[in-house]
Amino acid sequence: MEYALFLGCTIPLKLPHLEKAFRDVASILNVKLKEMEGVSCCPEPVSLQSLNIDTWMTLGARNLAIAEKMGLNIMTICSGCYETLKTVSVLLEEDKEYLAKINDILKKINYKYTGKTKVYHFVELFSQPEWLEKMKNILVKPLDDLNLAVHYGCHLVRPSKIMQFDHPEKPEKIDIILRALGAKTVEFASKLECCGYCARLQDEIGEKLVEDKMTELCELEEEVDALIAVCPACTTQYDRKEKIIARKSGKKLDIPVLYLAEIMAYALGVDLQDLSLKNRSVKPDKLINKLTT
Amino acid sequence: MVEMIKKNANELDANFRYEISEKVGAKSLLKCIQCGVCSSGCTVTEYVDMQPHRVVASCLLGLKNEVLSSQAIWTCSLCHRCTERCPKNVDYSFILALLRNMAVKEGKIPKEYSGTVVTIYNNGYVVPYTGGLKVNVDRRRTRMGLPELIPPDLEEIRYIIEETGLGDLAKQEQGD
Repeated sequence: MEYALFLGCTIPLKLPHLEKAFRDVASILNVKLKEMEGVSCCPEPVSLQSLNIDTWMTLGARNLAIAEKMGLNIMTICSGCYETLKTVSVLLEEDKEYLAKINDILKKINYKYTGKTKVYHFVELFSQPEWLEKMKNILVKPLDDLNLAVHYGCHLVRPSKIMQFDHPEKPEKIDIILRALGAKTVEFASKLECCGYCARLQDEIGEKLVEDKMTELCELEEEVDALIAVCPACTTQYDRKEKIIARKSGKKLDIPVLYLAEIMAYALGVDLQDLSLKNRSVKPDKLINKLTT
Repeated sequence: MVEMIKKNANELDANFRYEISEKVGAKSLLKCIQCGVCSSGCTVTEYVDMQPHRVVASCLLGLKNEVLSSQAIWTCSLCHRCTERCPKNVDYSFILALLRNMAVKEGKIPKEYSGTVVTIYNNGYVVPYTGGLKVNVDRRRTRMGLPELIPPDLEEIRYIIEETGLGDLAKQEQGD
């Protein structure tokens, strides 16, 4: 199966090491990816939608139309891109009148979106039974001794009527992938809490949410080796704010935050030195130590 | 919390609820029963001047100016839990986006939000990708063995932004 790879903005421009990890995983598992030409920001689901829904939907439809021209479905690696592109495709499927209005605009730049393109997040692909089996069979470094906490984030799972990703109050697709790689995943009360990155007006909202989640994880009976996220916003939010809060509050918060593809790449055989695990605020020294001894 | 306000019926905008429901169709706020599930699960409920169920009630009452001037509509983190849990299928997070759109048309835009369209207008991305910044990004990607980025088609992106009504905002901010 071949997919049109939709990179978005934050990962390729600011966090290319996450893109690298994903491309490594895709290449090991033989997922064919085709680069998309001329695509824009997805566009970003929070502020652009807030400014003007029509601009948000039309730019999104243009990106979908580019994949349609390629004759491929879209693979996303960021929850924001996934939310925008999936929402636009679902809303336009429900509302043909609106689709016609958008196509009127797109016509002038020679695009037409008909609704053929499906939008996926890589978690959806790799959590399917045949892929889990495939990963188990070629596992190079099983994550047997690791205790991992999963952060799903909001935009992957909600609203479930649109995203149709997983159970909205008890998602498990990321846990399933990590368990297939040999790790244990922990259950905790604040698992589905928002990271607060998108609450832009008040920084204290994000700080409180990050502090609550990280404090809970640090107090769990079994030591958590890492928090695993799939969204670049959540990943950087927890990583940076955890460090700031630890300094401010004197709390010992030291759980490293990894992007799912990073730990997958490691388990599937990518060398530690080819992954930029140290490229974050909370250094995963203890984790690397555990992996290498 | 908002201060208590007194208004006569003729000062309310009776059409406000329909202005909103027309655009959200089946997920309309007209079905709201004020149960408060949205507010009890809301990520930012402690931080807003008006909780979600009160925003909906205010829309239904026709308190247009109060709603569009509230800090509540911009504080939301769009976690979508309200929409997910509403027993009457009211899509509060989408209604909120609509209310933000209406506030924008009246020129009420927090600076934390207005910059996005400028960045996309100028770069095609939500992250600056011109001049020295582009050189740095490209160099870093090459070092990691990543493929060269295929730049966004700026002409097409600007056309869509202008055609859908955000052109002035994108260019006005640019001039600032």
